[in-house]
Amino acid sequence: MTPVAGDLAARQAALVTALVGGGELPDGFDHTRVAAARRALLVKRAGDVTKAWPLLATSLGDAWPECFITWAASHPPRCAQRDGKNFIRQCCPRLARFRSGHRRWFGLP
Amino acid sequence: MSPLPWSGLGLGWRAEISGLVSMLPGLQFSEVIAESLRGGAPPPALAILRERGVTVIPHGISLSLGGAEPVARKRVAHLAACAQRLRSPLVSEHIAFVRAGGMEAGHLLPVPRSREALDVLVRNVRQAQHLLPVPLALEPIAALFDWPDDELSEADFLAELLWRTDAWLLLDIANIYANAVNRGSDPMELLEKLPLERVAYVHVAGGAEHDGLYHDTHTHATSPAVLQLLAELCARHRPRAIMLERDGAYPPAAELYAELDLIADAARLTRITT
Repeated sequence: MTPVAGDLAARQAALVTALVGGGELPDGFDHTRVAAARRALLVKRAGDVTKAWPLLATSLGDAWPECFITWAASHPPRCAQRDGKNFIRQCCPRLARFRSGHRRWFGLP
Repeated sequence: MSPLPWSGLGLGWRAEISGLVSMLPGLQFSEVIAESLRGGAPPPALAILRERGVTVIPHGISLSLGGAEPVARKRVAHLAACAQRLRSPLVSEHIAFVRAGGMEAGHLLPVPRSREALDVLVRNVRQAQHLLPVPLALEPIAALFDWPDDELSEADFLAELLWRTDAWLLLDIANIYANAVNRGSDPMELLEKLPLERVAYVHVAGGAEHDGLYHDTHTHATSPAVLQLLAELCARHRPRAIMLERDGAYPPAAELYAELDLIADAARLTRITT
C-alpha cells in the first residue's frame, strides 16, 4: 500500500477496526501476526474481566476464558465492568436469572 | 544522567502483590499504573510505602501519544495529579496508540515508523510535557506486528523522537528482546544504536513463546535470554535504575524474590531482598 500524506488517523482507525471491530485488515499487514495480536488482545480482555468480576470466571469453570473470548471476538471492547455485564446477559442466562442484589453479593455482573 | 536521584532495583507496585512489594527491605523505587489511581490518590498501602521514602513513578497506559488524534488534556491532567500526589521525580508513558476512530483497542499498538507518525508523536509528547509538572520518559513497546511501510529504522525513529522532545527513554529490555525475536533481528545491534545516555530507567519482564512468536506477557518469570541481554546492556552502559514488571499469575513471594535476585545479579546491582 502506498501511504498517502496525512492519512494517519484513517489508517490507525482501520487497523483498530480490524483488530477489535470485525473490520477488514488493511493491505500490507502480515495476517498471521495481526491474528496473533487480535488473539492476545482478547486474552488480555478476558484477564481484565476476570479481575473486575472474579466469580464470573470461577462460576464458568473450565469454559472460562474461551467462552468469553468467543463472545468478545464479535463485540468491540468497552470497560471490563461493562464487558462483564454484557457477556453475562447475552451468554449466561442461568447466571443472569439471579436477582441483581444476589449477583452483586456474589461478585457477579 | 537519569533524572532519578538514586540507583537500584525496583518492583512494580500492584494491589495483588502490595504486601510482597512493601516487605522488600532494600526497595528504593517502584512504579504504579497511573490509571489504577482514582484522582491520582495512592491507596493506603502505597501511601505507606511512599512515606517510607520509596520513590513511586506513575506509569501511564492510556495517553495514546502515538495516536493521530490530539492527546486528551484530562488524561494528561490525571498523570500530572498522580505525580503531584506521589511527589514523583518523573512520569512515564508508551510510544504507542490505544484508540482510533472512537474505538478502544484495549492495549498498546505500534505506530508506523513514518515521518508523519513521528511528527504526530512529537506534537503529542510536547503537549503532554507542557501540562506535566515533572519530566516524561517514553517506553518503546513490544509489538507482534509492524506496519507495512516503515520509513525509518527503530533506532533512528527513537533517537529523533527523544532529540526533538527532550524526553527520557524508558528502556524495556524484554520489549527489545521480544521485537528482536519476532523480527529475526539482533537485539544488541539496536541497543548499540540507541542513545543509552537518555535512559531514565529500565523495565524487565517475563514472556512466553506461542507458535513461534514471543509474547511479552508479564505473567511469566524473566527468561535466561532476557537476563543475558540485560547483563550485556549493563556491561555497555549500566542504567541507574531497573524495575521488574509483573502483571498477573503472581508467584509465591520466594519465587518472586528469587527472580529479583537473578535480575540484581545480572545487572550487578545490590540485592533488595535481604
